[in-house]
Amino acid sequence: MSNASEKNLSPVKRFLSQRGMGQVITVTIGLAVLCMLFGFINPNFFTYRNIANLLRQIAPTLLTGVGQSFVLFTGNIDLSIGSVVGMSCMISATLMCHGVNPWVAVLITLVCCLIVGYVNGILVSKCKLPPFIATLGTMTIARGIAQIVNGNYNTDSIGEAAKGFRTFFYSGKIAGIFSAFWIAIIVWAFFNYIMGRTRTGRHIYATGSNIDAARLSGVNVSRTIIYVYVVSAFCACITGLITCASTGTGTMDAGTSYEMYAVAASVIGGVSTLGGSGILLGTVIGAAIWGVLQNGLQFAGAPVAIRNIVIGIIVVVAVLLDVIVRTGKGKAKKHKAS
Amino acid sequence: MEEKRTPAPAGKELVKMTGIMKEFPGVKALDDVRFNLYSGEVLALLGENGAGKSTLMKILSGVYQRDDGEILLFGKPVKEWDANKAKDAGVAIIHQELNMCTHLSVAENIFLGRELVKKERLDNDRMNEETREILNKLNIDIDPKAQVSDLAISKQQMVEIAKALSQNARVLIMDEPTSALTSKEIDDLFKIIHQLKADGIGIVYISHRLEELQHIVDRVIIMRDGHFITEMPYDINKMDEIIANMVGHEIKEKFPHVACKKGKKILEVKNLNAGPLVRNVNLELYEGEIVGIAGLMGAGRTETTRAIFGIDPKESGQIFIDGNEVIIHSPADSIRAGLVLAPEDRKKDGLCTRLSISDNIALPNLDMLSSGPLGTVNRKKEKEMVDQSVQSLKIKLPNAQVDAGSLSGGNQQKIVVAKWLARESRVVIFDEPTRGIDVAAKVEIYNLMNQLKQSGIGVMFVSSEMPEVLGMSDRILVMCDGRITGEFMAGEATQDQILTKATQFEKK
Repeated sequence: MSNASEKNLSPVKRFLSQRGMGQVITVTIGLAVLCMLFGFINPNFFTYRNIANLLRQIAPTLLTGVGQSFVLFTGNIDLSIGSVVGMSCMISATLMCHGVNPWVAVLITLVCCLIVGYVNGILVSKCKLPPFIATLGTMTIARGIAQIVNGNYNTDSIGEAAKGFRTFFYSGKIAGIFSAFWIAIIVWAFFNYIMGRTRTGRHIYATGSNIDAARLSGVNVSRTIIYVYVVSAFCACITGLITCASTGTGTMDAGTSYEMYAVAASVIGGVSTLGGSGILLGTVIGAAIWGVLQNGLQFAGAPVAIRNIVIGIIVVVAVLLDVIVRTGKGKAKKHKAS
Repeated sequence: MEEKRTPAPAGKELVKMTGIMKEFPGVKALDDVRFNLYSGEVLALLGENGAGKSTLMKILSGVYQRDDGEILLFGKPVKEWDANKAKDAGVAIIHQELNMCTHLSVAENIFLGRELVKKERLDNDRMNEETREILNKLNIDIDPKAQVSDLAISKQQMVEIAKALSQNARVLIMDEPTSALTSKEIDDLFKIIHQLKADGIGIVYISHRLEELQHIVDRVIIMRDGHFITEMPYDINKMDEIIANMVGHEIKEKFPHVACKKGKKILEVKNLNAGPLVRNVNLELYEGEIVGIAGLMGAGRTETTRAIFGIDPKESGQIFIDGNEVIIHSPADSIRAGLVLAPEDRKKDGLCTRLSISDNIALPNLDMLSSGPLGTVNRKKEKEMVDQSVQSLKIKLPNAQVDAGSLSGGNQQKIVVAKWLARESRVVIFDEPTRGIDVAAKVEIYNLMNQLKQSGIGVMFVSSEMPEVLGMSDRILVMCDGRITGEFMAGEATQDQILTKATQFEKK
């Protein structure tokens, strides 16, 4: 391929030739097949009602998936996501139950969650703790905070005053689709732009690909790592607010295991846990596959146990396929180095 | 080193390969290549990067499968072939990057995968004893119980050789074995090679350091672009012919030195201290000159460049650029001040190998390419910058979107340099700029250094290759033990003088 042919690429082709697009195309086909399969089994799958529900269900996985993907891009991991979701849910609900203005409550919650993200970033980048250990610690702490804010009880209903809050974060509809999904998509679109088009995004990929080379190229790698953890906490915080808005109460164990669902959505979509590769578009498809499986299997009458087993298998197979494809390619490429 | 060479070919033919073909998607890596190796000889397999040396050796050692051609090993034709079969048959390869479990002991590594047991339990005593015997036979002084990570690279390499021999290797392939060794360690390695030769083992020696071949090599086979070019007995006086065969055209001048008028002072480092290997370093760099830093391994040259560039923390010292003091706490500070570094270890420090070439070149220059509140990267500007760098450095690429890791060593080095050319830097420091790259690429790097010098940029480089330091520098600084022990003008220095200064250790 010469430089000339590169210049003449149409926008569609350029979009498709992006790095990491291969896996995304594969899983998109997988998603389409799944949808058709479930549509065939259950004629109600493609009804407006179910689709609207499905999109609403996807929102938490998509949001936490975006956050986790950011952390994975740098080659790290964030285990505290689920607990931050719980913390966000409990702090906002408790404040609202005590009559605090919902928007003030949202602001306070946001600050608390971002502090957790910032601490994660500091522990990993400055204190050089292994990310698994650092975020395991903050995961436990954040869950503890979720439990303590209302004296180890779930909260009562957040009440009439918070109706606007609930509409905004969950039940409001634009174009017939619940606001929870719109929020998730807007957050995704913003961070997708950051990853794909900005300096920060490049710094994140470079840090994940080779942290030493990135530092020697003048990238402030500590700041980059702190940034991704703060983004992750931000996404978890929004997820917690959506959870709170959906049930109308604060639940202490809200968000349990979400960090793992987020990893699953990311890796299904082609984000490497080793860092430096993958695109955020993949995370959307990954989250969609996750949601469709949950929804479709539920519709098909599969018990929770079967759902878990099937989804677990899908995660492993998706990553396995990617590894097989890549090592196949890797062998063909190696000769150039010789 | 004593010059004693048995006339080749000495013994019987261990390996004979004929008509070897290997094609990778889109590239014919090997085309009708022949190769042979006799027992008790050291054969240098020479060629530029990408000539097909490694591919050929990977086929011999079973890592790759040949598309066509015949291999005779010890006179018997080889049919089904893979890495394990090759190992069992006695073909061992020692890679440039060593393959060892560094947390295990020497004996544990040597017996890895074939541990000795007694009553279902590991027989550590016997393994240690047998390891000691193998090492003694080679006159290597290493404790079998030592943890491998505690050993110097040279010792680790010897453990690998011992491991290969303990598995009855009769064909030993060594890929760039001396690239990380000091000259004393190289001597030790050559002693071992001489001994292996005497034992009738056939050795294939791949190296870019042509000067060192004279001590050990009997015969050379030269490859170029996947073809067998020629074979000849080794003769130090035929060096020009060997090089000409490798590159396909005569290289007129090995070191294209350009004279320039010395201008004003660009860089001054005063009383720099950073750890035991950077002690009270003072140096100056002027417009229109190249300063070479010579010294033995462990002299603190790399550490000095790292401290100046802000990778490692400084204990004390001042840095002035164009007369103004600059505070450098990180590479980012240094880049902003106009001082950049092309590091020694390309894969570790120089490139994000899993990112594209374009991403790598743009990475340090994103401040110039991005705008707006979010720092949006202007793709058009980025493409222009990348294209321009690629063209000016004559980097051969399919396109700028391929992974940087897929390029040959020489091209990778050019990418590392290309990153910095788009900026208006005042000082460019190269650390071992030509390590592991082929002759033609070396000359291109030299030309580039000259270009920088002519355009008024201060150039400083660290090199372990004495001829390179002598050939390219206008002024030479010699380091030993973390201190600058000597300074020479290029025309006045000799290798002997430099070596004397490089071994001027402090009396303890």
